Amino acid sequence: MPPRIPTKSSASSASALVRSSFVSPCTSQCLPSCRAGFSTTPSLERSTNLRRAFMQWQKTIGANFKQPKPEGGHNYLSNSNQPFPLNPQFRSDRVLDEQARELIWEKVMRQGETLKAVSAELGVDVTRVAAVVRLKEVEKDWVSKGKKLATPYSKAVLGMLPTKSFRPGVQNQPLEPINELHIHTATQKQLFWPTAESRQFTREDAAKAFHAKMLSADKRVPHPELIQMEKNLLHGMSPDEARAHFISAAEQSERMAAEKQVKKAMAEEQATKRINTQRFEFRFKEVDSELVGKDGRAPNVVGWKYGMPHYDRKKGMVKIPTSVP
Amino acid sequence: MPRAAQRRLHVLRRPKLRQSWSKYNLYNIWRQRDPKIGFTDHETFFQQKWRAKGLLRAYHGEHIKERDWERMFSRRLLSVANMNPRYMAENDGSEMAAGRGSGQDIVQRWKADKVDPKTITPYMNMAFAPMERRLDIAIFRALFASSARQARHFVVHGKVKVNGKVMPYPAYKLNPGDMFQVDPDAVLFATGQPKKKGGSNARQATKAPQDNAEAEPAAAEAEGAEAEAAEASEVPEQDPETTDKPEAPPADMKPTRQAIQKLTKQAKSILARDRDVSTSQKQNLRSFLKKAKPLLSRAGRPAATPTDILSELNSMVKDLNLSDASAEAAATPAAAAAPTESSTAVTRREPPRSIDDLNADELKALHRLINEEEENPADPAKPYHTPWKPRDYMSAFAFIPRYLEVNQNVCSAVYLRHPVARVGSAEVPTPFGYQVNQLAFNWYLRRR
Repeated sequence: MPPRIPTKSSASSASALVRSSFVSPCTSQCLPSCRAGFSTTPSLERSTNLRRAFMQWQKTIGANFKQPKPEGGHNYLSNSNQPFPLNPQFRSDRVLDEQARELIWEKVMRQGETLKAVSAELGVDVTRVAAVVRLKEVEKDWVSKGKKLATPYSKAVLGMLPTKSFRPGVQNQPLEPINELHIHTATQKQLFWPTAESRQFTREDAAKAFHAKMLSADKRVPHPELIQMEKNLLHGMSPDEARAHFISAAEQSERMAAEKQVKKAMAEEQATKRINTQRFEFRFKEVDSELVGKDGRAPNVVGWKYGMPHYDRKKGMVKIPTSVP
Repeated sequence: MPRAAQRRLHVLRRPKLRQSWSKYNLYNIWRQRDPKIGFTDHETFFQQKWRAKGLLRAYHGEHIKERDWERMFSRRLLSVANMNPRYMAENDGSEMAAGRGSGQDIVQRWKADKVDPKTITPYMNMAFAPMERRLDIAIFRALFASSARQARHFVVHGKVKVNGKVMPYPAYKLNPGDMFQVDPDAVLFATGQPKKKGGSNARQATKAPQDNAEAEPAAAEAEGAEAEAAEASEVPEQDPETTDKPEAPPADMKPTRQAIQKLTKQAKSILARDRDVSTSQKQNLRSFLKKAKPLLSRAGRPAATPTDILSELNSMVKDLNLSDASAEAAATPAAAAAPTESSTAVTRREPPRSIDDLNADELKALHRLINEEEENPADPAKPYHTPWKPRDYMSAFAFIPRYLEVNQNVCSAVYLRHPVARVGSAEVPTPFGYQVNQLAFNWYLRRR
């Protein structure tokens, strides 16, 4: 442990250094800590080879990375869009620029297009479309409240990243693949499933073979309507008509999802009895204490269960929330 | 073994790669060569895994206890497959059951000179995917903090909200659809240039100039490795209008004084050439000289700023109202502002007297300047350098993984989904390649 009361040598190292620097220049030979007058760390006597090599790098190759490129775009150690030279499998993907975000917000909020339609038109993932709109709403809210945006930061960051913009009213190159299927764990096993050679074994059958309740890939993809549209096109429907069908199907599916959500919320509300006192709002729900699962120890049931220890009152158990509604 | 908080984050000897934008870290990433684990047989499998996990754990959440990470680890690696709607419309899947039950045989080109290897789905690069769910690491990935540790600090200090509620736990695991917001001031502080040293408090800024001249080189030399020559010499060129007045080190008034003296001299020389000048012009010049004297003495005082003095000088020159060509040269304030240019600036066009004199381009430029100043003002109260500029070496680290959607204007981001692997790429930003990740993944499977 360093002495509490600094010794003469350690306490005065910084000030002595400042004074002696005029006599014997010791540029880049001392630790940064010796700038502070209260530091008890003795200053480094000599520069190491490693440090010298670092300095050299900083003046030569490293100088390219100090500032972002004046023309914009990425500035990584490798010349491509690969931030880590040793990992070619991670690449920096393009992000939507301000104009593209504004366009998406405009389409969804002003023109009332469905998320799926916007996603299919621009080639942006549905979840990303929703997120862009949500974030843009926050931004508009800030502007209306007169809260200051971090514009210089935004400009600087978007200037450093590969960006993507869209031109309204024309066919654009997609940002990312939009119809990506999540690889379900049940489908990752190898299966030996004898069937008749004459049988047309479709994706539907394959899903059933993996699990009785599994839906086929056609239903699990984010854009099942797109597959239907392509089928319509294959059957000779005109592109305009197929597009109209797709848009109405997207609207339908979005409406159904919204209705489902509303229904769920309503059911929740009906099952809850609220009693508002001055200080608290009590919410009561009917719970059947008999519903405890097969062995009486189901994890999500109410109340104390025999053989199931409650750790929530134990010392040292951190109760970090698992979700924020 | 020192505690995590006491360990040094960046070292040059036996370097470790970190989640940080430090220049030392950039240098370490740059010089890191492929560790080539498992290429020779002088290491046992256990040793290979041990070394690989050590390399990767130093990067992925080094501030997280090993025990915590082991509980977080999941052997389930997420991936997606791109389904082409056109293909799905054309085929119902039965084509995959053709032949002997796994699709029609692909005709092999046995005689081809070179066969490209199949592109793999790098599942193993997803070994540290559960880490990316952590709030602090997501904040770092969204470019809101300069290191994962700083992001953690922000969370602990209540600067981060998740879905509109303050979330003080850095270990909170984001769920798909969660929006997190970071206090913009904290973001600007984390990602901006630091304040110049010695300029942070007003006492030092108003010190007598000779005092400061002595302290400056000493400080620069004492800084050593941290602020090397490149940083010290890198005084940003700034518009004098936007210069941060109290924050900046005492301004160098020498050029301003020289400019005033030069103008005075020129005015005197014009007065001496009696014939060319009209009486009213002479009167103007004399009043100019009268005013220039106190201005010169004021410029010598420690509290003076070049901006104030120059603006006054400009107004004085405007009042002078000389149509004479030789006097015009003297009246060019731009020439006065930059003594090095003063000789060449004689040929410049007359400075506009008011806003109405500006042409369209100049007006546009003026508007742009005013806008820039408005959105990025000089504010000495801020804990970072103002006007805001991105910190050094930021661009080499700037990438946003696809599982996040970020709006930089409001310093908010949405965690869209968990990171996934696709054919040819994995979304987890990790500094090492497939083999190292595979060995680390195997370490955490706990079958060693």
